[in-house]
Amino acid sequence: MRSIDARVGTLTASVMMLVLLFSGAAMAAKAEGTPSEDPPLILLCCIGPFLLISLAIAAWGIFVAIFYPVFFLYGVIFSGRNLDKRMNEIVLRERASIEHFGKDPLSTLKGANIVGGVRESGLVYSSIVYSPSHWQLLIAWINQLFGGKIDVIHRVISVGRAEAMQRLREQAQAAGWEDVLNVRIDTAEMTPASKPKGPKAVEVFAYGTGVKYG
Amino acid sequence: MQHIRDGIMVVNTETIAGKIISQNLGVVGGSTVRAKHVGKDIGAFFKNIGGGELKAYTELLEESRTEAIARMVADASARGANAIVNVRFATSAVTAGASELFAYGTAVKVE
Repeated sequence: MRSIDARVGTLTASVMMLVLLFSGAAMAAKAEGTPSEDPPLILLCCIGPFLLISLAIAAWGIFVAIFYPVFFLYGVIFSGRNLDKRMNEIVLRERASIEHFGKDPLSTLKGANIVGGVRESGLVYSSIVYSPSHWQLLIAWINQLFGGKIDVIHRVISVGRAEAMQRLREQAQAAGWEDVLNVRIDTAEMTPASKPKGPKAVEVFAYGTGVKYG
Repeated sequence: MQHIRDGIMVVNTETIAGKIISQNLGVVGGSTVRAKHVGKDIGAFFKNIGGGELKAYTELLEESRTEAIARMVADASARGANAIVNVRFATSAVTAGASELFAYGTAVKVE
């Protein structure tokens, strides 16, 4: 929030400063004979940008105040359902690609088990940034007061991970690889610009080496 | 060919199956820091409230990864390598809304 405010503010301020400077210069050139008009103009130049920044921040605040509840409610109603829907879809896609390869192409082996030769090899990678909804974070916060399992967040992260792995399979399929060796799955925090200190989104990144036997 | 960039093979295994490493040319790496514009950040802010995939940031990471790999490959080709083995990736959250990506590996000559 704060960083967006800052960026919007800086942008508006710089644009308005330029506009005011130009118009000020034009007006000054026009009304050179009447020095009594100069003080209000300078005052406007000094106060104007600050006024505009505060106006912009206020407008953003009103905008958020109106739309935040709408999106939050959307999260309350749909975030769990969307998660289930996505998981089911991933399972179906996974089944399709396992059918295509004849087995699960991903493995963490390093290729020592390959008996025949390898014709070609190359890097495959895929990623996703996934975030829990604010409703799920609220549930998680209540859960963590009591301790124990926090299933809501676990489900969100599993879906993200499953999606990244499925995308890796699809990448391998698109590039024509027969197998993917040495698969690694990294999880990193991706901080959305809107929340420098608040809840974070998770980035899942999967990569491996695709091979073609020959 | 997507997997052979500028005549350099990039893999994350320690060897390239079917080839022999003849010369080790040292560690090569490439990194980049990127961010999306404010409009996308605002979109992601609202998407974040409802939960789910933040497409703008997935895209951002994809772009930065491609750029980091391109820089790593440029580094390797400057050393006269024809392959990079054992590639690894590291991500760090330098600042909100931006991503730092670092790709590194060993530049080698294979036969």
